[in-house]
Amino acid sequence: MVGERYAFTDPYEVRLYQYDASPETALPDAVVIPGSAEEVAQVARICAEEGVPIVARSGASSLCGGTVPVEGGVVITFARMDHILEIDLENLRAVVEPGVVNLALSQVLRPRGFYYVPDPSSQGACTIGGNVGTNAGGPHTLLYGVTVNHVTGLEVALTTGELLQLGPGKASELSGYDLTGLLCGSEGTMAIVTKIWVRLTPVPPVSKTLLAVFDDVTTASNAVSTVIASGILPAAIEMMDHLSIQAVEAASHAGYPLDAGAVLLLEVDGIAEVAGDVARRMAECCRAEGAREVRLARDEAERQALWKGRKGAFSAMGRLSPDFYVMDGVVPRTRLPATLDAIGKISERTGFKICNVFHAGDGNLHPLVLFDGFKEGEYEQVLRIGDEILKLCADQGGSITGEHGIGLEKRENIRYVFSDQDLSVMDQVRRVFDPGLRMNPGKVFPAAGGEAKPAVRMPAGKTTGRAGPGDEIWV
Amino acid sequence: MKAQVSRVLPGQEIGVDEQRELAVDGLTPARVMRPQSPQELAEGLQALSATSAAAVVHGGDTQIGLGSRPARYDVALSTTRLSRLLEHEPADLTCRAEAGMRVGDLQAILRAHGQRLPLDPPRPEKATLGGMVAANSSGLSRARYGGVRDWVIGIAVAYPNGVIARAGGKVVKNVAGYDLMKLHTGALGTLGVIVELNFKVQTTPEADDTMLGHFDQRGDALAAGRWLARQYLAPAAITVLDREVLQECGLTADWRWTLAIRLEGYRREVEIARDQAAAAVRDHAGRVESEPAPAPARFWESVRDWTLGQDEAVLLYATTSLSGLSPVIDVAGSDSRVMAEPASGTAYVRVAPGAAVGLLDRMRGAVKGSGQVVVRRAPTASKDELDIFGPPPPGFALMRELKRTLDPNAILNPGRFVGGI
Ligand SMILES: Cc1cc2nc3c(=O)[nH]c(=O)nc-3n(C[C@H](O)[C@H](O)[C@H](O)COP(=O)(O)OP(=O)(O)OC[C@H]3O[C@@H](n4cnc5c(N)ncnc54)[C@H](O)[C@@H]3O)c2cc1C
Repeated sequence: MVGERYAFTDPYEVRLYQYDASPETALPDAVVIPGSAEEVAQVARICAEEGVPIVARSGASSLCGGTVPVEGGVVITFARMDHILEIDLENLRAVVEPGVVNLALSQVLRPRGFYYVPDPSSQGACTIGGNVGTNAGGPHTLLYGVTVNHVTGLEVALTTGELLQLGPGKASELSGYDLTGLLCGSEGTMAIVTKIWVRLTPVPPVSKTLLAVFDDVTTASNAVSTVIASGILPAAIEMMDHLSIQAVEAASHAGYPLDAGAVLLLEVDGIAEVAGDVARRMAECCRAEGAREVRLARDEAERQALWKGRKGAFSAMGRLSPDFYVMDGVVPRTRLPATLDAIGKISERTGFKICNVFHAGDGNLHPLVLFDGFKEGEYEQVLRIGDEILKLCADQGGSITGEHGIGLEKRENIRYVFSDQDLSVMDQVRRVFDPGLRMNPGKVFPAAGGEAKPAVRMPAGKTTGRAGPGDEIWV
Repeated sequence: MKAQVSRVLPGQEIGVDEQRELAVDGLTPARVMRPQSPQELAEGLQALSATSAAAVVHGGDTQIGLGSRPARYDVALSTTRLSRLLEHEPADLTCRAEAGMRVGDLQAILRAHGQRLPLDPPRPEKATLGGMVAANSSGLSRARYGGVRDWVIGIAVAYPNGVIARAGGKVVKNVAGYDLMKLHTGALGTLGVIVELNFKVQTTPEADDTMLGHFDQRGDALAAGRWLARQYLAPAAITVLDREVLQECGLTADWRWTLAIRLEGYRREVEIARDQAAAAVRDHAGRVESEPAPAPARFWESVRDWTLGQDEAVLLYATTSLSGLSPVIDVAGSDSRVMAEPASGTAYVRVAPGAAVGLLDRMRGAVKGSGQVVVRRAPTASKDELDIFGPPPPGFALMRELKRTLDPNAILNPGRFVGGI
């Protein structure tokens, strides 16, 4: 149907599609690379009729096993559906296929003075389709919101083989249930996205970036709260703790002081007449909270240098440890000090080093547990630590995932934030779209009858946490 | 059907006066439920389900006329006793409140901390948070700050089976589980009754300003508004009003069309945005009012409340792309009153009941699939002759199935929503 070249079942060839950016793997029975929405819809229908699982896979940068075909079946990838179909600046919209790489869209738009705001750190690799799948965020979601806030319409394929165009598209609203909003972040468990209408935003005239240096993470966290309470609307606030700074400095020499307990990167967008002034006010807030040094990037080169350390933080971890395990918890901003403190205690107790590099402005933590996957039993221990950290975030009134999704990885942990009743309503909603549960089975929802316990996963060995220095990957 | 004959309805019996107060589109309920807790409300729903009685959910009743005439209406279910603020940690810029809390009461508490929810539904002193969400009533600043769907971060809903279930949470960034907040936003309470809401909130901008531009041609006013909507320093609100509407909002004018602009931001930013707005008005053949607008806060409240319409008139609401708006309101004759929001591609058109059917047809013809025109309000006598929502939206089969799944006995606002849901 899609042409012989674009469908294969050879066990050797499908092996490429058994993993994403998470440690889990599972082999699909077949891989299909459709060229049109109609083909996607037909594949979905045939799979559903045959009772075969259908797993949508775009950039495969999922950090939660979202694209791993745990129950086998057909993996649909969007490598051929990567066209920007329309750019309509007059109406502030673009229409894209799911395989369009996030960064590619903004690169096309920026010269014309507009951009697509959500900027996951993986934006060079991840796609708009995958971003809809996980409702992706990024450093600048603090001020501008996440994927769902910038998506106004979807074309989706259902297991019935129907193609539906949902949402207002170029208009701002449409009566009826907001299925577009519902499907954002549904991780491919209800429908497959074949086209996306996104909102475009004018590029800010200038961005000012500050580095603030603190003796410990508590004062840095307090500074985050002070900045936010002062009435300033920062575009991004990112934090790196002492251990992260060691790794980052060794790798990229961004100029972060090695003896600092924590650094904050703060950014403000605005017009030239205002941004500098607001940046100075942010600097004052940091000083008032005890920052021992605040540095304002004077030009674009200095600004890029400051961001370089942050952007390279993940790959830099290779300097400290052969492997790392990335978490994605969220806590209310005011709970940051207590949470970081508790994570520190977990690290002391277990002997595993934990780095914290994260979106501090919205309380989205990315603890990185460092380990060696080749050492017997370490991976299992790390999973237990991860579980404990997620429980901790939930107990602080937060969430177990801010942007990476539940996927396979956290399907059991979801019970930390939702009751059986909460999950049962979500399950009923899912079954309206996919009564046979063929869309990305084994994801998001806990295994039937399962108790809250750490997910049991493949032993390590290969983990994508292994990164070479110099790669620009960051979370 | 047997059960219906002998059933005893849940809720408290009410007298004629109260029945009349709670009437919706000419239908009156026999009973009322005013639960004091989410649990009590959920139990009430279970009792309703057991008798297959139909309830219309009441918040502040500011938009109770929204939607088609109820298919059945036995019991009025009021949320107004669920009015507590449950959490507000100013430094987290979030809050949690019961759904029957008045929007104005929440805003007053936030204001004391220099914060606000940048949603501004009409009549906030009456409107409830749950009603605002169910009616998807965002106010005039949606293009700049986003609408209801962008500010709700968590929800608790009582379903007809008596279950209270949550989605989202209290943190500003969260992708755990399905985003059921979206499902209930704009659902007119047809899937469940919202009992609790979590919002993110915003620091109130440092400065604001209002500017009025005068135009002879509506097209020029709209074009100026559209241009401004695409700038980095976009205004917080942009509306185009005809002379009569302006007068109803408390200002008199000699000119035909007014472009009212509200600017917000840091002080210096607002000054610069004002220059930009003035230039946009002049570039589009308009003139800028030299005197500052008198009592701008009251003016904007009047504009906001104007969007509720009037008892004896029909209020139509068009939503299109930014460039698609002009042709849709151009079909409205001089016997209708128009208020347009060029930054969001939306417009309210008020017309006498006698002319409503014809105008609705013409506007729907002009929209041509690039948006929609719905009836926001109509006198009871006109309700049945007007197709309130027009043709069911794409994905309607799924919507109907969602309704069947979550409200199998159709006890919640039956018949009021799109396609007769
Ligand atoms: C180094 C690194 C940094 C990262 N930084 C961030 C970050 O800052 N913010 C953030 O949010 N995430 C981040 N991520 C995670 C990941 O990039 C995001 O989850 C991203 O949205 C995934 O996009 P993708 O195209 O790779 O999708 P995939 O990984 O292919 O798929 C993701 C999910 O969406 C589903 N899906 C994919 N395509 C479709 C479709 N067409 N229709 C329906 N469902 C579909 C999949 O089934 C899967 O469940 C990072 C990952 C890495 C490796």
